[in-house]
Parts: sequence; C-alpha cells; structure tokens
Amino acid sequence: MWREFLTVVRREYLKWVRVPVWVSAYFVLPFVYLVLFGQAFNLNNLFPAGGGAAELRTALLGAPDYFSYFTAGIIGFVILTTSLYAGTGVLFDKQLGIQSRMSSTPAPRSALFAGSLVFRSMMAMLPCFLAIAFGLAFAHVPGLVGLTVNGSVSALGVGEIVLAAALLSLMFTALFLAFGYAVDTNESYFGVTSLLNLPLLFTSNAMFPQSTMPGWLQSISAYNPISLAVNVVRENLFATVGYPFGPGTYLLGLALWAAFLIGVALLVAARELRAK
Amino acid sequence: MEHVIVTEGLGKRYADGVDAVRDVSLTVRGAEIYGFLGPNGAGKTTTTAMLTTLLRPTYGRAEVAGLDVVRRPDAVRRRIGIVFQRSTADADLTGRENLELAAGLCSLSRAESRPRIRELLERMDLSEAADRRVRSYSGGMQRRLEVAVGTIQDPEILFLDEPTLGLDPQSRAGFWRYVRELRRKNGVTVFLTTHYLDEADALCDRLSIIDRGHLIASGTPAELKERRGDDTIEVTLAGEAPDLTAAFASVAGVRAVARDGAMYRLKCARGEALVTKVALAAQSREVEIARVVVRKPSLDEVFLEMTGRAYRAEGDPNGSAKGAPPGGARAG
Ligand SMILES: Nc1ncnc2c1ncn2[C@@H]1O[C@H](COP(=O)(O)OP(=O)(O)OP(=O)(O)O)[C@@H](O)[C@H]1O
Ligand SMILES: [Mg+2]
Repeated sequence: MWREFLTVVRREYLKWVRVPVWVSAYFVLPFVYLVLFGQAFNLNNLFPAGGGAAELRTALLGAPDYFSYFTAGIIGFVILTTSLYAGTGVLFDKQLGIQSRMSSTPAPRSALFAGSLVFRSMMAMLPCFLAIAFGLAFAHVPGLVGLTVNGSVSALGVGEIVLAAALLSLMFTALFLAFGYAVDTNESYFGVTSLLNLPLLFTSNAMFPQSTMPGWLQSISAYNPISLAVNVVRENLFATVGYPFGPGTYLLGLALWAAFLIGVALLVAARELRAK
Repeated sequence: MEHVIVTEGLGKRYADGVDAVRDVSLTVRGAEIYGFLGPNGAGKTTTTAMLTTLLRPTYGRAEVAGLDVVRRPDAVRRRIGIVFQRSTADADLTGRENLELAAGLCSLSRAESRPRIRELLERMDLSEAADRRVRSYSGGMQRRLEVAVGTIQDPEILFLDEPTLGLDPQSRAGFWRYVRELRRKNGVTVFLTTHYLDEADALCDRLSIIDRGHLIASGTPAELKERRGDDTIEVTLAGEAPDLTAAFASVAGVRAVARDGAMYRLKCARGEALVTKVALAAQSREVEIARVVVRKPSLDEVFLEMTGRAYRAEGDPNGSAKGAPPGGARAG
C-alpha cells in the first residue's frame, strides 16, 4: 500500500518537473491576480475618504485596506484555480492508456487515488504562499499597494494558515480528480468545472465582504469552504475582531468538508478504476 | 493437464449495444502458448480485457489461474502480465522510470526491481535508450518497452495483445525467443493475440480463431490446416506430353485434377504419400516429369477461408477460397 502510494507520488513529481509550462503557470498565476485584480480592482479607490469609506472599513473586519483584505482572499481563488489541473491529468492518463496500465496492476485503487491527491494538492497549495509573499513585497514597490499585516503573526497562526490552505487544496483536488475520473472527454470536464468555478468563488467572501451580500448569499457564503479558509487567514493576518468564531472552528468546518469530498472522490475513483 | 485459463459462454456487450464478444468458451492449459486470431474488430482485445480484469463480462464466466476474474480481480492481477495493443508508457518519463513505476505498483521493492529492470532493458535491447524519455522512442522501441513493462512482475500468465505489431524481423525473432524462454524456464502460460499467421504457426501450441465475436475454430495449427483440407501436388511435365489428366485422376487418393498447360494441380489429403504413385503414373505413359511440388495449406489460407468472406466477395483472383467451401467449422 505504502510503496504503491509513494510510486504514484514519484510519478506525479517527475511529471511535474518535466512539464515546466505548469510550473510557470503556478508561479505566474498569483502574481497576475494580485497585479491585475488587486491593483486595478481596489474598492478603496471606489470609496475615497468620506462617502462609504467608514462602512467599507467595518465590512473589512479589521483588515487595514481592501488590497490586504483581497490578498488574504486570493488564497481561496488561487487554490481553486490550480486544483483544476488535477482532473486533466486523470483525463490524459485515461486517453493515453496509462490508466489501463495502472488499473491492471495489483496496486490498491485507494493508493492510486491517494498518491495523485496528496502530491497534486500540495502543489496546488504552493502558489497561495507565493501570493502572500508577492503581497508583502508589493508594499515596498513604489506605485503599488501591498499587503499590510496587523501586529505580528504567531507560529501557531502560521500553522493555522498552512492547515487551512492544505485542507482547501485537498478537498478541491479531490473534487476535480473525481470529475476527471467520472467524465470521458475534455469538453465535458471543462464544461463541468467552469460551471462550478465562478459560483464557488462568488458565493465566498474571497473578494467581497460577507456583510455586503444579500441575506441568502450570506448564509451560503458562511458555509462555503473558500470562506472558511479565508476566515482563518484573515483572522491571523489582521488580528481581527468581529468574526463569530475563532480559527479552530473554521478549521473544523474545513476538515469536515475535506473528509466529505475526499470520501466521495475516493468512491468515484474506486468505481472508475474497477472493471466496467 | 491443469487449465490455467477457462472461459464459459463469455460475452461482452458494450454500452452502445455492440456485441463485441459472444458466447466464447475456451481453455488454455498450463505452460501453453495459446494463439487468439481474428480480423480487425473481431473481439480479441475485448476478450483479453475481460480476462485481465479490466472489463466486466456482460455474461458468462472466466477464470484465470483458477480465480474468477470478476470476484477475485486483485488475486488475478498479482499473477498476470499484460502487453497492451496500444502503448501504455508515460511519454514524459524515461523507459527506466516507466519500468520503475510498474514495478512499484506491483509492490516490488527497489532491491528486487533494480536488477530485474536492468535485465529487461538488456533483454529488450533498450539499455542505451533507458534514460531517454519515451516520447523520443521509435514505434518498435515503445513496443519492446511495453513487453518489458508487461513482464515486470514475473507473471504466471502473460497476455500479449499484438505484441509484435510493427517490429522489425530481428526484434520479432528476439521476442519469439523471449516468449519461448519464459515458457521453458518459468512455465509461463501465454495468451497471444496476433494478426501474423506465421507467428501463430511458429509460436503457438494451440490457437483459436474469433470472428465478429464468435469463436469459429480451435485446435493446433496442424489440425486447423488439416481441416482446411487438401494438399496440392503440382506436377510439371517435360517436353511435348500428352494430356495426363485422366491418368492422374485414376491414381488412388487423388480427388481432383486441374490442368494448366504442362502443369497439373492434384488435390489430395496428404501429398507426400502420393508423390511416388503420381510419378509412376507419368512414367508408365513414358512422360518425363520436370518438377514436383507438394503444397500444404497455410494458416493464412485457413484464416482467410474462415474469416475472409469480404475478400472473396470482392473476387480476389488469388483468393485462397477457390474450390472447396469453408470447412464447416463455423459455429453459430
Ligand atoms: N469501448 C468500446 N465501446 C464500444 N464498442 C467497442 C469498444 N471497444 C471495442 N468496441 C467494438 O467491439 C468490437 C471488438 O473490438 P476489439 O477491440 O475487441 O477488436 P480486436 O479483435 O481487438 O480488433 P483489432 O485487431 O483491430 O485490434 C469492435 O466492433 C469494436 O468496434
Ligand atoms: Mg485489438
């Protein structure tokens, strides 16, 4: 079991380093989001001092400015986008016969799934830390707004942020792997995932404060895993008050989501890797 | 002798309604090289996929190594090796890495797999290319890598789906040697799908022919050729010779005679047994014989005869099916 799992992880790693297009996509993505979205689409500029600025400040729940708020939120966005790649790997393996080869070996189906899940979710997580690093760096670049952290972040806080990002990566990677296993053509894969992508993002508080949403959307956003993860990040970066729960509660919520989605994905993978 | 592969009324209907395999029953004995022949789309790959636990039979039953393929797929997978018709290597990895991947998935430790991989690369003449990405391999190299990957876990039973497709003659001979050796040294049972009839003839102890999902004949290559029927003795007379049609026809054992100038074609059961009598018949009329050739029916003829209706319908002038109607072996 363990050996098969590590074998799959090694293969994913080898493919990862051999296809530099992906690597660069992962590194460029957070940069582009922060520069294009974060700089151009800055709510602070829309509400110049006076009209609404105070309300915005309250809505940001202690984040010093909108760009900082957005940078913390981008983590959910980046993880969602990078996880999307996971399923395409499965599709290619299916089309190229590699999946037949793997299914024909005695390797436990769960090891085949888990190897891809673990490696790919770790990779999906990487760029969100880059996003934070870019955000912090922007603060020192003239002409750009940057991420401002309130106070100091404890080691526990960093651990909580990493755990939140890891859980979010795991659940989304599991979800997209499951789609990869379940559908047969690239068209249907991208059809399904693009239908899912924006709704997941816009029903979260990644970009817009929850308190500015209509009531029904607020209740969806409260349970959206992206919101849960972003809450953990913001609470830690901005020493925020005004959240109904502490990071531990949100992490528990994330863990439940992850357990549920990984469980479902494992069932889908096991079904698809069985004789049909 | 123990039966290593047994199918009973095995059938597969794909989701779109194609009946790819219908009611196939066959047995393969231990340490036997069993050929599975048939034209394109006959159902060879589908049958192989069911036997290797990759496809679920729609009906019927199959056992491999005494294990039901539907109920004990994991146990079956531990005992078999597969060479797929389509290459399954990961093109972004090197040949060696592909072998390491397969070894790891078969739960071989590094210590076990390293010498094995070296030996297989050597054997398949891939040592030099071992650390190049498979993307850069030629078709034949990919095919040989596929064979190496398929035999990585030292299988008891080896499934080969058109393993020599596109191989040059040396590689093909090397592959035949390898298969024979696996059987001799390790007692491996081989289930081999092929279009090359010389290959089936040279390699297989027994074989069966599948057409449109039906098994239409099985037996040893010799039996099948015999069933195809007659040998042909071609006699060419020297010089100005009278018409000997009647003389040849009266030789006991000759079933039919066709004349083509100085050349006569005599149909009979076993040509070599009649050559002397035929020569005597000519001699008794004081006619010299320039040449005698005994032609055996080839497996090609058997194959075409049984599955090649389309060719004949088109009126192929060299069609092997002139003369006797199909040998009545068609089932269903
Ligand atoms: N996945 C599939 N879905 C539907 N039909 C299929 C599928 N795979 C094969 N078939 C059909 O089943 C029949 C048997 O196909 P199969 O691949 O088993 O033939 P084959 O004997 O291996 O042929 P070849 O010599 O060309 O490899 C064909 O009619 C084919 O079109
Ligand atoms: Mg085939």
